[in-house]
Amino acid sequence: MAKLSLFGMLRRSLVHRRARSVSALVAMTVSAGVATALLTLYADLDAKLHKEFRSFGANVVITAPAFARLSGDALAKVRETAGADALAAEFAYAVATTDTDTPVVVAGTDFAAVRRLDSWWQVDAWPESAAEDVALLGQRAAQFVGNEHAVALTYAGHSVTLRGVGRIKTGGDEDSRIYMPLAAFTTWTGVGPSVIELQVPGGAASVETTMARLRKALPEMQVQPVRQLVEGESKIVDRTHALMYGAVLLIALTVAVSVLATLSASVLERRRDFALMKALGGSQMQLMGMFLLEALVLALAGVAAGFVVGSAAAWAISEGNFHTATLPHLSVLPLVLLLNVAIAAMAALFPARVLRGLQPAALLKGE
Amino acid sequence: MSEAKIQTGPLVDPHGETRDDCAVIALKNVTREYAGHGSTVRALADATFSIVAGEWVAITGPSGSGKSTLVNLIGCLDRPTAGQLKIDNVDVASMTATELDRFRADKIGFIFQQFHLIPYLSAIENVMLAQYFHSMTDEAEARAALVRVGLGERVSHLPSELSGGEQQRVCIARALINNPPILLADEPTGNLDAANQTIVAELLQDLHRNGHTIVMVTHDPEMAGLAQRRIALSHGKVFCHPVGGPMVTLRR
Repeated sequence: MAKLSLFGMLRRSLVHRRARSVSALVAMTVSAGVATALLTLYADLDAKLHKEFRSFGANVVITAPAFARLSGDALAKVRETAGADALAAEFAYAVATTDTDTPVVVAGTDFAAVRRLDSWWQVDAWPESAAEDVALLGQRAAQFVGNEHAVALTYAGHSVTLRGVGRIKTGGDEDSRIYMPLAAFTTWTGVGPSVIELQVPGGAASVETTMARLRKALPEMQVQPVRQLVEGESKIVDRTHALMYGAVLLIALTVAVSVLATLSASVLERRRDFALMKALGGSQMQLMGMFLLEALVLALAGVAAGFVVGSAAAWAISEGNFHTATLPHLSVLPLVLLLNVAIAAMAALFPARVLRGLQPAALLKGE
Repeated sequence: MSEAKIQTGPLVDPHGETRDDCAVIALKNVTREYAGHGSTVRALADATFSIVAGEWVAITGPSGSGKSTLVNLIGCLDRPTAGQLKIDNVDVASMTATELDRFRADKIGFIFQQFHLIPYLSAIENVMLAQYFHSMTDEAEARAALVRVGLGERVSHLPSELSGGEQQRVCIARALINNPPILLADEPTGNLDAANQTIVAELLQDLHRNGHTIVMVTHDPEMAGLAQRRIALSHGKVFCHPVGGPMVTLRR
């Protein structure tokens, strides 16, 4: 039984011009795929970048006033105020003398907390948390020590011998310090912690909010951001956003040109078919409708295929760069759909003009 | 070989002019000009003639004489720059493009030299395409139209599976499907071999006998001779439209 419907004709027409149809579909799929991948990554970008920035260590430093110590409950208050996701470690400092009679900064801290907070430090072996007589030697500080396995230090006439278990390399001040457990440090020097380093999750706004809360909770303390890190993070996030927007627009434009060429060729090579339909009584609206429906079908098919391809690409990129999977975001689908339909509409403008100016008589005569 | 005698007698009044009240096509001082680069080209100048219902008219003339322009106008694919053009007693010059599309679907059946079948539609679907743009598709009617032109067994074939003659017969079935009062044939046998020319000529004769009005553009004197009347064009002017014609002998 022969049936003739608009969709039937459209399907047969697309199948008949396989190469052209596939070419247009590939262009629309690429457009939707790239948009899906970038928008999916974009949706997770903030979380992923903030996670990356967490590995750079503390972004807030809380210090006691000059020559004062932190109160005993300062760390607990900081943790309570900053929230469960924040990482914090307290430090106490003193300048001691090594067995080679060289002054060196010795820091007392909680190794377990520092290990989580400053995961970017290059440490060849972390001391066990329970051990009291262990030390981490900064790359430069190790040169001032006679025996790394029995590090003899003197502070205000009190001596202590520590077992150096590993070296630190950061490229910063840490390389010139010797780190030891806080409890042992306080027992030896009588000096309590004066600095808390804190890592607040989230972007610049989140850091500012947390700092404001900390200033309120600990009014006697100085709460300062690690300016370079917070501002740097903010700039990188903003620039990455702009870069991704630009990339989506650039790719959309490129694809629009490609789709324009394909649709134009598609109309030009079927001018006689359209001329015939016009001669048979097809109105301008009907012909335009048929053509735009074709462009729309290609755009929608491109979105369906592109969403799958783009989500897979986003997953692969995320896995490769951030070591975490990015699941498909259905929330990006309306935007991708809008973008592809806009591209199809934009690309259909010229062919639509060709259709409008069609001269059936001349075309059907072969002129 | 047999011979068929076709009476091509005129449907005119005793004074040799077609009667306007019977005219299915009536041109009065019709002019069509095209704007060129800084100049105007007059493709048809002051054409005045009528064609009555049931008449078979051949339009002849050399290339550039204005035949295509005349066919565009009669086929409602174009509108005159000046003058009055009435098709089935309706002045088409004042119609909008949309009205003209509708009017064309109702009144004109086109038969093309190059057939112009949609390559991905079967014979019956090509016929139904004319129904689609006219009103509603009716498979039984489309099949009957193909049977009428001798293609009852080829309804499901694609144009690429049909010979040139068969494709032209599909084109004729498509032209007939909406029962238009006018059949406009532009070089209907121009692309056919002798055998298929005869088949198509016979089909046109059959349609004429059944009362269809046929306006046929042709370079072929033998085909032109089948018509009752010849309208000759030269340089955009109608210079000869004799009424009546000889008895024509068609070789089978």
